[in-house]
Amino acid sequence: MANTVDARGLSCPQPVMMTLDAIKKYGTGEIEVMVDTDTSKENVIRLAQSQGWDVVSVDPDGIGYKIKIRK
Amino acid sequence: MFWFFKRKKENQSKVNDTKGRGILIFENTSEVIRAEKLLKQHGYEIKVVGPPPEIRKGCDLAIEFPLIYEMKIHNILREHRIPPLGSQPISNTGLKPVDLFQTKDFGKYLMVKAANMKLTIDKETLLIVNVSGGGCPDVPYISKELIGKRLQDAPEPRDLGHTLCGYALQLAYEKAKSIFDGKEGYQKSSWN
Repeated sequence: MANTVDARGLSCPQPVMMTLDAIKKYGTGEIEVMVDTDTSKENVIRLAQSQGWDVVSVDPDGIGYKIKIRK
Repeated sequence: MFWFFKRKKENQSKVNDTKGRGILIFENTSEVIRAEKLLKQHGYEIKVVGPPPEIRKGCDLAIEFPLIYEMKIHNILREHRIPPLGSQPISNTGLKPVDLFQTKDFGKYLMVKAANMKLTIDKETLLIVNVSGGGCPDVPYISKELIGKRLQDAPEPRDLGHTLCGYALQLAYEKAKSIFDGKEGYQKSSWN
């Protein structure tokens, strides 16, 4: 089961910082990040890729997105 | 391990000291950028600021300059065909330029904002973790080139983009470097 980061309702750079904290904490595996703006979605994806994580899926979720990343 | 920073009071007062300073107002941002470069090349102590709302005319950037050199500066700008729309002394009028920079400490991360652009740095690794703001077409490209690189290894935003966003990001980048180089009155007060 994927670890989850719920960054809905937060503005940049907070979703990115929370994602990086999770990346540092888990090191590998699967993380699901929930955001509610396009900007946060793009920034989280950029950060994940810069850290060598694959973006497995980006799915609409209510008014936001669920981004699944894996390493 | 985290860095914690404490601002020195004496540096704060120096930054806010506008005695003997004036403000140059321009039509557009590109004139401000050209004027900044030109005046720095001539050795003047100037800085880009937000114009006080009372005298804002065209552009959201202005140049703060030493009043004692007002005539010389006007002559240089006229020679290079970037005459300002006007200039005002700061100290006599009570007008206060708006500082372009804001910093926000998130604990493990430091966000440096310059005008409309934000740069977020991991304080432990000095990794650039986020670039946001703007809305200019080159921001996605600049972000891609900066995110994931250490501040000291990252390319300069001005070499990557040529919009107002790229320029503002360059200012944020220089400010961040200055902060982490210890030149901004912040001190590492403890190591965990």
